[in-house]
Amino acid sequence: MSWLFPIYLAGAAAIIAPILLHLRRRPPQDRVEFSTLMFLDASTPVPVSKRRLENWLLLLLRCLALILLALMFARPFLQSESATASSADQATMILLDRSASMRRDDLWKRALAEAERLFKAAKITDRIAVAVYDRELTPVWTFEEDRNTPANRVAALQSRLAALAPTWNGTQLDRALIAAVPSFDARTAKLKKRIHLITDLQEGTHLDALRTIAWPAELTLNVHRLEPATNDNYSMALAARDEEGSADALIRVRLSNTRDSALRDFTLAWDKAPQTDSITAQLPPGAARILNAPPNSTNATTLNLTGDKYDFDNRLFIAPPQPRAVRIHFLGDEATRDEAAAPLYYLARALQPTATLAPVLTAGKALPAQKPDMVVISGTTPAVGAHASLRDFVSAGGFLVEVATSSADAALLQTLTGIPGITVKDGDGNDDYRMLADVKIEHPLLKPFGDPKLRDFTKLRFWKHRQIEVKEAGSKIETLACFDNGQSAILSARIGKGTLIVLASGWHPGDSQLALSTKFVPLLYGWLAAAGFSHDPAATLLVGETLPLDAAAEHTISGPDGKSQNLKVGETFTTTEIGLYKVQSASHTQVFAVNLPPDEGRVLPLAAQKLAEYGIKLSGGADSGAGGETTDERLTATDTEQRQQSWWYILLMLLAVLLLETWIAGRTRQNTLASA
Amino acid sequence: MPTTFLDPAALMRIKSLELRAKVVVEGLWKGMHRSPYHGFSVEFSEYRAYVQGDDPRYIDWKVLARSDRTYIKKFEDETNLRCQLVIDHSKSMNFGSLGYTKADYAATLAATLASFLMKQGDAAGLTTFADGIEEHLPPRNRPGHLRRIISELERPAKAAGTSLALSVGQLAELLRKRGMICLITDLLAPVEHLEKQLALLSAMGHDLVLFHLMDRAEIDFNFEKSAHFRDAETGVERFVDPQLVRENYLKRLQAHRDTIQAATDRHNVEYHFCPTDQPLEEVLFDFLSARQRKKASKSAAARVAG
Repeated sequence: MSWLFPIYLAGAAAIIAPILLHLRRRPPQDRVEFSTLMFLDASTPVPVSKRRLENWLLLLLRCLALILLALMFARPFLQSESATASSADQATMILLDRSASMRRDDLWKRALAEAERLFKAAKITDRIAVAVYDRELTPVWTFEEDRNTPANRVAALQSRLAALAPTWNGTQLDRALIAAVPSFDARTAKLKKRIHLITDLQEGTHLDALRTIAWPAELTLNVHRLEPATNDNYSMALAARDEEGSADALIRVRLSNTRDSALRDFTLAWDKAPQTDSITAQLPPGAARILNAPPNSTNATTLNLTGDKYDFDNRLFIAPPQPRAVRIHFLGDEATRDEAAAPLYYLARALQPTATLAPVLTAGKALPAQKPDMVVISGTTPAVGAHASLRDFVSAGGFLVEVATSSADAALLQTLTGIPGITVKDGDGNDDYRMLADVKIEHPLLKPFGDPKLRDFTKLRFWKHRQIEVKEAGSKIETLACFDNGQSAILSARIGKGTLIVLASGWHPGDSQLALSTKFVPLLYGWLAAAGFSHDPAATLLVGETLPLDAAAEHTISGPDGKSQNLKVGETFTTTEIGLYKVQSASHTQVFAVNLPPDEGRVLPLAAQKLAEYGIKLSGGADSGAGGETTDERLTATDTEQRQQSWWYILLMLLAVLLLETWIAGRTRQNTLASA
Repeated sequence: MPTTFLDPAALMRIKSLELRAKVVVEGLWKGMHRSPYHGFSVEFSEYRAYVQGDDPRYIDWKVLARSDRTYIKKFEDETNLRCQLVIDHSKSMNFGSLGYTKADYAATLAATLASFLMKQGDAAGLTTFADGIEEHLPPRNRPGHLRRIISELERPAKAAGTSLALSVGQLAELLRKRGMICLITDLLAPVEHLEKQLALLSAMGHDLVLFHLMDRAEIDFNFEKSAHFRDAETGVERFVDPQLVRENYLKRLQAHRDTIQAATDRHNVEYHFCPTDQPLEEVLFDFLSARQRKKASKSAAARVAG
């Protein structure tokens, strides 16, 4: 016989009350009026003999009723032998949180101590597995290892745990738990399964994926929460970065303060920046503000937030602006660079360096020795001998822009595209102007015009254009835009790895208003971006994310810790630290800023009950493991008790006893009255 | 002497005290052949000079006419026996275990005595007392006096304690003339002071008769259950196990009775011990027999009332 709530058995002590009542009920009852007490002794002995129990049957029934009541509340149940036996051995998995928030105080040390306590308390027949998790689960000691070498478990675990340290990753408890569930294999099926979770269980813990699994009924989760000295914390994340500017890119950061925090003042400054360039302000508890970063006079890459105790989330790394050099060769007369009527004049002025691109424009009659990234042909027709080299250039991945100026260009186009049916002739020569129509703004080469603000082509007029006719082209040549008379204005073709763009009209004022319009620069940069001569510097990466690398190239990566690593073609690299990663490839060098996941800064404790909402079977959070009944056992006991429902029978017995008591008491009373 | 007496319990069921007394007296009367007392006619005693305040009724007008002097004519007592019935009205008299109380018994006894005495031409008076004299009716033998006595007897007792000595002292002052005094009481009070007063009354020439009433429960103390015993007069409660204290009680009660017996003997007081379950006729018969014996023992000249 076991009890669900043995404490209620103490209630049976209440039978003292009826016993006492029965003992002392009789004496004060009778009163005899007597004529005088003068013959009675002054000190009459206390009649001890009267202290005998009266109505012992009633007393017995009343005591029985009280005992039954106590039994009922104690909820007895019979525990079967098998259940008791199987509950002896346990399969326990100890999950250690090693996310960045565990860097606070001595949380990690305490987590290790707690884990050590748990695996030292385990019996030799218990199966122990240990794993750490941050954004994913990493096994440290598996059940398989434990089965093979249970004897030196403690020493092995101690040495393995000592080698571990908190990472800079976020906390994805959901993924860790989902990965931990299958590690309870068939060999542990007969043991009591339990996961001990040692964590600071912060608000930023990811739990959503837990909805996707059904938690095993026999697996319980013990949460061992580690509390830091304080939960007051400022955290910082990158909110936005304005890429339009170049060096003084506007950076906005999002600062937040924890709820009920005692912190008020903070200081935001670039690394090694002078005092005058820092921002000192106040942030009320629970508030979040987005503010502009202070001016970066020292070209620092780290923005520091001070004012709170824990600095693991107080640094924001911003990659420095790193424009990519693009070599553009103008095939034509170099001398026309300063002539306002010449196409080169406008090209040179349009191609200004930006935060992402640093165009280098060269001009000449022939292709330079070092292959440029882009070749622009305008106002001239290359000699036939150069056609093949141009085709090679394009096929190898070059970008060629050809402005058709005469019918002689047809031969070049035929060579480049391999389509013999291309003819070029002067367009309709009337004095009327042409405008663009049917602009394929969804085409990658015209991507900038996806912005509705730039989509108005009505002010763009073409005075002069060539009529390019393409026959039997199939789908090789695309028309990106037409003139309003239906003739092609912009054509593009994919040749080998490269791209060819053919314009039916030039941008210089002799041909059109294109160079003077607002469309010219976006058009050029759109082409460059489409050609891959741009990268997304915004790429604010978070720890644990993979660096966006060109799979077709080899890279050398230098991490924030200064170590460098060579990657072969096709290999990927996952970031593990916060800081700047320098990626060098054959063609260029890139710097990536890797920051802490913003959720990791939300350090307020999360209620363990939240886990139960995801269907996880929780047992008592602060249970001591050794000694006393664990809540887990209590849960099993509750199930057994609810199955047996013994209290129901006790209730019936209690009612029967009470009825009997009432009947006997009633009869006794009647007898007393009758005798009186 | 009648062979069967009326059961007191049956007698007490008669509501009317007058009727009750009549029943007893009639029963007794039938068995008697002659009165133990012989009455006198009204007899002239002496003349006395009138002083202011005397009742003019008693002025001897003939003497006034003859001698022109005012004299008061004084007479001997109207009756030969003046019996003052003195009834204890204290709360302890309200105790009774037989369905009637000692007070009921005392009232019946007193009514019977009064009725008997008046029937044979003697005068009877009534005094009730508790912690002092409550009511006092001087002895008379007039039509209607018996009714007054009985109605007075029927009044319930009101006072709490007994102060026998004080009451008897007051009585001695009230009774100027010698006579018989029948004291009907349960005597549940210390006897020492009483003895002094009894001696006084006895010395005054009164003929004292003491009826000592006791309930059977008081005599035997045959209670069984333990209980809080409450003193009827003082209200004091005491938890008592009768089994344990019975022996001691009886011993002390006997001592009390012995003291009374001794005191009455010393002062020539006629003592009658009357358990309340004793038939009244028997008490009355005993009383009369005792008086006759006393009378016989005294000289012929000795009179009950002088």
